[in-house]
Amino acid sequence: MARKLARHTGGQDKTVPWLTLKMRETMEAWLFISPTLAGFLIFFVGPLVAVVWYSLTEWNLLSQQSVFVGLDNYQDALVRNADFWKVVRNSIIFAIGLVPLNMGMALALALALSRPFRGVIFFRTVFFAPVVTSAVAWAIVWKFLLQGDAGFVNQLLAQVGIHGPNWLREPDWAMVAVIITRVIKMVGLNMILYIAALQAIPRDYEAAARLEGASSWQIFRMITWPLLGPTTLVIMVITTIGSFKVFDHIYLMTGGGPENGTLVLAFYIYQQGFQFFDVGYASALAMIMFVIVMGLTITQLALRRRDT
Amino acid sequence: MKSIISSITLSTMALGMMSSALAAAELRFTVWTGNEAHLALLNGMADSFKESHPDVTVRFETIPAGDYTQKLTFQLAGGNPPDAGWMMEDAAPTFVGAGVLEDLAPTLNADDGYDLPDFSEPARGLWSGDGKVWGVPFSTSPFVIFYNKDLFDQAGLEDPFSLAAKGEWNMEKFQEVAKTLTDATGKWGFEFKDGQGYETRIMHALMPPIRAYGGDVWANQECGFDKPEAVAAVKQLHDMVFKDKSIVPPGENGDFFSGSSAMTVNQISRASLMKDAGFGWGIAPLPSGPGGESPVIGQAGIVVFTAGDQKELAAAFVRHMTSESNVAKMAQFFPPARKSVLSSEAFTESNKLIPTEQMEVVKDAITKGKVLPSHERSPQILAAMKPRVDALWRADADVEASLKAVCAAIQPLL
Amino acid sequence: MTNLLSQPRLKVIKQICWTLSLGVVAIPFVFPFLWMISAGLKGPSEIFGQPSLIPTELRWSNYLEVFSYQPFARQYFNSLYIAVAVTVLTLFISSLAGYALARLRFAGAALVGLFLVSALMVPEEVTIIPNFFLIRWLGLSDTHWPLILLPVFGPQGIVGTFLMRQYFLALPKELEEAGKMDGLSRLGVWWRIALPMSRPALAAVAIITFLNSWNLFLEPLIFISSLEKFTLPLALSNFTDPYGSPLWHLQLAATTLAVGPILIVYLIAQRQIIESFALSGVKG
Repeated sequence: MARKLARHTGGQDKTVPWLTLKMRETMEAWLFISPTLAGFLIFFVGPLVAVVWYSLTEWNLLSQQSVFVGLDNYQDALVRNADFWKVVRNSIIFAIGLVPLNMGMALALALALSRPFRGVIFFRTVFFAPVVTSAVAWAIVWKFLLQGDAGFVNQLLAQVGIHGPNWLREPDWAMVAVIITRVIKMVGLNMILYIAALQAIPRDYEAAARLEGASSWQIFRMITWPLLGPTTLVIMVITTIGSFKVFDHIYLMTGGGPENGTLVLAFYIYQQGFQFFDVGYASALAMIMFVIVMGLTITQLALRRRDT
Repeated sequence: MKSIISSITLSTMALGMMSSALAAAELRFTVWTGNEAHLALLNGMADSFKESHPDVTVRFETIPAGDYTQKLTFQLAGGNPPDAGWMMEDAAPTFVGAGVLEDLAPTLNADDGYDLPDFSEPARGLWSGDGKVWGVPFSTSPFVIFYNKDLFDQAGLEDPFSLAAKGEWNMEKFQEVAKTLTDATGKWGFEFKDGQGYETRIMHALMPPIRAYGGDVWANQECGFDKPEAVAAVKQLHDMVFKDKSIVPPGENGDFFSGSSAMTVNQISRASLMKDAGFGWGIAPLPSGPGGESPVIGQAGIVVFTAGDQKELAAAFVRHMTSESNVAKMAQFFPPARKSVLSSEAFTESNKLIPTEQMEVVKDAITKGKVLPSHERSPQILAAMKPRVDALWRADADVEASLKAVCAAIQPLL
Repeated sequence: MTNLLSQPRLKVIKQICWTLSLGVVAIPFVFPFLWMISAGLKGPSEIFGQPSLIPTELRWSNYLEVFSYQPFARQYFNSLYIAVAVTVLTLFISSLAGYALARLRFAGAALVGLFLVSALMVPEEVTIIPNFFLIRWLGLSDTHWPLILLPVFGPQGIVGTFLMRQYFLALPKELEEAGKMDGLSRLGVWWRIALPMSRPALAAVAIITFLNSWNLFLEPLIFISSLEKFTLPLALSNFTDPYGSPLWHLQLAATTLAVGPILIVYLIAQRQIIESFALSGVKG
């Protein structure tokens, strides 16, 4: 019955003028998009606009009182508060440490695991397993393994005669520890993306190059790497953004310490807003984070475009 | 098939979303204890409240101490406030300043039998001003030394309680026995309060020795960490951690209550953990120092939140909880600020786990002690201190320089 | 001797070395899981004793204690139903929007696309404070709604939209045209033709969305205060004694319970899961 009815109206469609058809398509499109768009406006665009407003006020989370203070919060961050620059520095160090390590390791693993051999499935499974594990669980376990002298990692190191550092208690080592454990957690995802990209490269290219006597390195340099370009870009952008939004990992492993050595932007926003009740300042920080991440992403995309 | 799945999903969603309908009068009361003995005591008070308010139930909600103030903030700021709750001394000025605590004076004064002035004046200091009362102190609990008698015996040492009785229990002796204990038993000599002296309980770790040396962390808006007394005190702790290796160092575990450390600092509410400790134990005063005896008191109050919609009822419950007879009941875990209870013999006999003569230690400390420092901006101060204190707890740290850095960081906030 | 170094043998040796070195690299990936399972079966004092992967006695009671310590079964269920709800809603909404962006010509399409794609670059920490007030204003604090609404309509949902759009773009149009000829409405074409052909993309979006919701931490942390409304990540970080020190043996037993099923599902479906991720990456 419904089908019949539909056919009937469908028949009518053919007779309506072109403009109405187009209008109808537009209406349908907006209808299809409206749930996404409405939610997006309410839970994303609205809040984004609100953050701009909040960042111009002094607003206490507890007492809920706010006063307009202009650009004071930005001045606080950029000029007055020495912690801010340390936090930005930490975030950048975290990204600089994490992104190349993650991508390099992902690519190496992908190259090793893109061709079939006995056990390949096993290894792919193993390297991907941390990705499906909750960050909380991951942080809990590693926090325990990385304790001082009693920690498992240091006990293992002691077996081979190395006196391991008190990982999470020394600022520089803590940064190293959160970066490495984060890379182990996330590298599987990028590895899979690279494997898929590698498998999409036709085998003929390599065979032809081999016939001409190219070494493995040359093949990688001249053929594989350029063909991986688009994937590398996507991975780089995703991983960079991801490195800036890391919160749970830091919150649970170091709480931003020691000596603020792992205090990164995402955590700093949380701390200022929800622990010190300083909504205005936290919002200014959020805006700064927004600008940094946007800027980095656009730069990466632009650089890539210039390259090709 | 798909529709079945989606209808299951929808019904489970509905199930999950249904918040239990609130009974006409239920008070939600947040606490940071999950201890059964404590909760039984509290529930007893809720039951006796029913005598005057038959249709009112009180639900005690446990939030772990480490997250307590943070979670409370989320509830208050998120529009989901509890009616009443406990509050720690370091949070009190912040919450008073933000105007989220209800003035209890009208309710408390409405009952002639309540006798507010019975609470000692210094104990009320943090919780009142301008004739208003924002909270009632229910625990004025001095820090004391808990010691493992078995480990002291094993090391052939006299225990702190006896040493204190002879007047020999001082900072020097403390360092000496801690070292001897570590060397003789292979356990740690001393653990900071709840093992969190390097993380959430920095103040609880540093405050007692600094005061024993005659210093203070801050006073009259002036930072005291870099004064010679404080530097000497912290140097001693630093030596104990890194030279003597007698204090559980950062990143290690040495839980006193499971027998891994011979001494710790804590409050008598923790005595309830000792019921099945499996070793002999006792309590003693904090070691004295060049500054004489200087007990440190941790305080907590009961408050009512302005954002709640049953403020009067909640205030009435607070009045009930802190009546003379209920304060006397709580005294076994939470030493009272009511002078009448404190001076009664019932207090020193209240805790079945702690012998009367040791409870005298507690009583003595309450009368002599000073409350832990607090400040309207304590969250910021603590956060500013934390990274600089972290720097202190390294083997090669320059203690004096680190403490100067602490002062540089917190002075603008004081 | 010559026999030892013959070509096939060399190849086998090379293969073994290769596998061994991969095995070494795999240690930090596998070890945490083994250790988690092992420590979850130890007593509190043994955890801090000599490190050993094999507990001296298996304390299964840890697992019972996990459930008596807090309403862990309830919290488990919360995580599960929220993740399912988020996944179903996201699939529905993002496939609708993705379809429109891929197939329909309409004024403003490019603008809407650009608008949405910008969301992918914004960490949720940027908008968390206003969202905190929004949820409060809506009276939804300490309910599960923010844990459903924010992921569905936030950047995560937009990722879904774009994955679907990319997939629809690559589908042949002919079947849909035929459907239209057959008199199907636009919704009908989407539901009866486009969706059934996009199973791999739907699977990819479902997996990503489910995992994201299952592991969500910041939102539960600030929105949920009642124990019985906790989700797993929050519950895991809540195994502390009342004074805030972690109860490691319980925490690790609970972590095993939380990670276990996901890991098992992953092991069973790993080929499809990895393919879905691969697909989403290449197309996205």
